[in-house]
Amino acid sequence: MSAIAEREVALVDLLDRLLGGGVVIAGEITLAVADVDLVHVSLRALVSSVETARPK
Amino acid sequence: MEAEPDGLWAYCVARDDAALAEGGPGVHPGDELTWLRDGGLALLVSRVPLAEFGEEPLRRNLNDFAWLERVARAHEAAIAAAFQAAPVVPLRLATIFAGEDGARRMLEERREALAGALDLLAGREEWSVKLLIDRELGSAPAPEEATAEVGSGTDYLMRRREERRRRAEADDRAAGLAEDVHAHVQEVAVAARVLPAQNRELSGLEGDMVLNGAYLVERDRAADLRALVAALEEREQGHGARIALAGPFPPYSFVPEAA
Repeated sequence: MSAIAEREVALVDLLDRLLGGGVVIAGEITLAVADVDLVHVSLRALVSSVETARPK
Repeated sequence: MEAEPDGLWAYCVARDDAALAEGGPGVHPGDELTWLRDGGLALLVSRVPLAEFGEEPLRRNLNDFAWLERVARAHEAAIAAAFQAAPVVPLRLATIFAGEDGARRMLEERREALAGALDLLAGREEWSVKLLIDRELGSAPAPEEATAEVGSGTDYLMRRREERRRRAEADDRAAGLAEDVHAHVQEVAVAARVLPAQNRELSGLEGDMVLNGAYLVERDRAADLRALVAALEEREQGHGARIALAGPFPPYSFVPEAA
């Protein structure tokens, strides 16, 4: 396995934890609205974009 | 020229009287990590320019693979460093406050739940146990190829049926093994979660992932976990099964829902 592939492997594992765990402060994709100064984006969907970003 | 407004990227929460790791790089180069203390809790944050981390640019940047990787690794490194020094409750990637007031308000509103989560997670760490199966090795050897030059239709159907039967057997065996490994690892863990299996192209790992388990383990039982995984692996050696153990990680997957 090339060094690049190994790096990406670890990234998938990392994103799994970072996007699937941790305290979610606001609801899904709640962005700053008017006077709500709290921004939170949930990125679960990105795991599927990781898939498309990798050459098959 | 007016300075671009900054937001605050948040990493994790700790008790403010804990041994807190100071400084270190944040997700935006040049903006250091700092602890925001409020009412007995401390929130690890670093400044981020909203031109890059505001709603619209963030959406775009998160879909930029190189940007995402850099930010995810910086986020993880900051939490890992804090976790080495003190119990932490990690926050989901990309938790951004428009300012210090919002961050303090969050700490106030969630003080009890966060303190409870810190109590629950203190002294515990997350481990990943993955079970990978090589279907060819793991199943019975394939029967001799039919040597007849032209197989009859009946031969063909029988071979198909046999192939299906062997595949079903291999699936059953894999599922049984996954259950068994999970049950054993659970015995040394205080909590467990079965996560969706990663597909082979994404994980880069050889074989079919039949178990992707996350386990919350007392720090002083890490040696037991390693010994158990080694024993399970030895037992399965030659059967086409492999166990990948990774950790310890901050307890991302075990933050209580109330927090």
